[in-house]
Amino acid sequence: MSAPAAAPPVHVRGLVRHYGTRTALKGVDLSLGRGVTGLLGRNGAGKTTLLRCLATDLEASAGEVRLFGLDPERAAGRTEIRRRLGYLPQNPDFYPHFTVFGLLDYMAVLKELGSRRDRHDEVRRVLVRTDLYDRRHSRVRRLSGGMRQRLALAAALLGGPELLLLDEPTVGLDPEQRIRFRSLVSELAVHSTVVLSTHQIEDVAALCGRILCLDRGRVIFDGTPGDLVERARGRVWEGAGDPGDGCTSWRLADGRHRVLTPHGTDSPGGGFTAVEPSLEDAYLLYTGMDRGRG
Amino acid sequence: MSWHLTPAQAHEYAAHRADEITAMSVEAHLMHCAPCRSLVPTDEQWLADSWAELRDVVDRPRTGPVEALLARTGLAESTAKLLAATPRLYRAWLAATVAVLAAALLAAHTLPKGSLVFVFVAPVVPLLGVALAYGRGVDPAHTLTSVTPLAGQRLLFLRTCAVLVPALTLCTAVALLLPGTTAPWTAALWLLPALTLVAGSLVLGRWMHLSAAAGVMGSLWAAALFTLFLVEHSAPVVLLAPPSQVWWGTALALLLGTLLLRVRTA
Repeated sequence: MSAPAAAPPVHVRGLVRHYGTRTALKGVDLSLGRGVTGLLGRNGAGKTTLLRCLATDLEASAGEVRLFGLDPERAAGRTEIRRRLGYLPQNPDFYPHFTVFGLLDYMAVLKELGSRRDRHDEVRRVLVRTDLYDRRHSRVRRLSGGMRQRLALAAALLGGPELLLLDEPTVGLDPEQRIRFRSLVSELAVHSTVVLSTHQIEDVAALCGRILCLDRGRVIFDGTPGDLVERARGRVWEGAGDPGDGCTSWRLADGRHRVLTPHGTDSPGGGFTAVEPSLEDAYLLYTGMDRGRG
Repeated sequence: MSWHLTPAQAHEYAAHRADEITAMSVEAHLMHCAPCRSLVPTDEQWLADSWAELRDVVDRPRTGPVEALLARTGLAESTAKLLAATPRLYRAWLAATVAVLAAALLAAHTLPKGSLVFVFVAPVVPLLGVALAYGRGVDPAHTLTSVTPLAGQRLLFLRTCAVLVPALTLCTAVALLLPGTTAPWTAALWLLPALTLVAGSLVLGRWMHLSAAAGVMGSLWAAALFTLFLVEHSAPVVLLAPPSQVWWGTALALLLGTLLLRVRTA
């Protein structure tokens, strides 16, 4: 099955997904090319559902999903998409009695990666890239949480996917591993489309050229990290006074407070000065989390 | 180190023309003398292949007994790997199957009309295996495996075969050991209902989880037995009588046709 030559890796129009009476996605539109796109949103916003639809794990209740120009609801298209796809699910689980190498070899068979020699070469490649080569003979049940997360990432990388979908990939990774993860993803993004769903704003700030914010099943922001930060300018303050109620604030290490004001440039009071917003500030303000919007 | 290789000796050795004693001396010398090693021309491709082969032997996961057995039967190495890597519940089902069939055999030999236990249980034994062989909830790695090219119908059919072969073999063996089994064909009367129930669950699996689909088919089987038990002048064993086999065969053909159509038109 061949795809249209100019088809974007991800093209979604009016995507709706129901779980019984609950609607998790309410008409999502997006089109993604190469590079890293960050998916942000509070728990239950629809990030995982969107990734599962893109990963061909869930069918759309309505709307159109095209990956590489192919329809994932048709068996031939779905199989071809899966050959070009890597997916790291949230909370991945494994066969605990397998060795690390054995599990990846099994996954490589499922990904139709050719002869035994080719498969093993590919398994070695992803083991090296995820720093798991020294643990290749370890049983999966003996791995720490961070190592399991890297194992799931290694499974997603098998075959050099053109579309890589990562759902909370840095959970359980130590700071050093997170830096290595960022380096790996930024390398992959040169030739691939990477979609990264996370609550780690630092990862998004470090990696993503584009951000999608989801709220209750809808895309409420689609732009660059700079665009998002710009919208928070004049709404982030630091000072020594009492910020009072009605805005979000937290105490800094030096005893002062950092305050987010939802309504424009209203100062929280005397003693506060406007400061440069961070991506996290901007995200909190934009998604309305500062007001506890439910 | 009293001597070094001459270019001519190195050439003779590399061309496998040196006599055995000279070759052994050269090899012992080359172990410790880098300048002489550089005189010996190397086949880079052969060296790379040899290292790759060696590395692969070291890294290769140990083949389990089931996988080795399947490979010996002539299955492709990758297919044997897929079949051997079934969920743990599959093995639990296999153990339970042996236990249930052994109990049914014991009942057949010790209780009056005890053979009926086997007759009513045998058709659902493969069904339960299918329910535990594939899907979210029974396969811990399902979230990882479900989005691979081989997942879905292909892996489902493969695992269904992995269930059917041992289930049908065990049921047939027990059927042949039942008291009063005079002809082999009478020992196979449960076979068509069993296959029909499995095919029915695979068809229903389009709309619900496979385990739920197997539950529906198992419940229909139980409901049919119970209904016949309540109806006057009837007996549940009529479900397996030769005239009923025609209906089972027809139903099986229709269900298999539906499955085939689905695979082709999906």
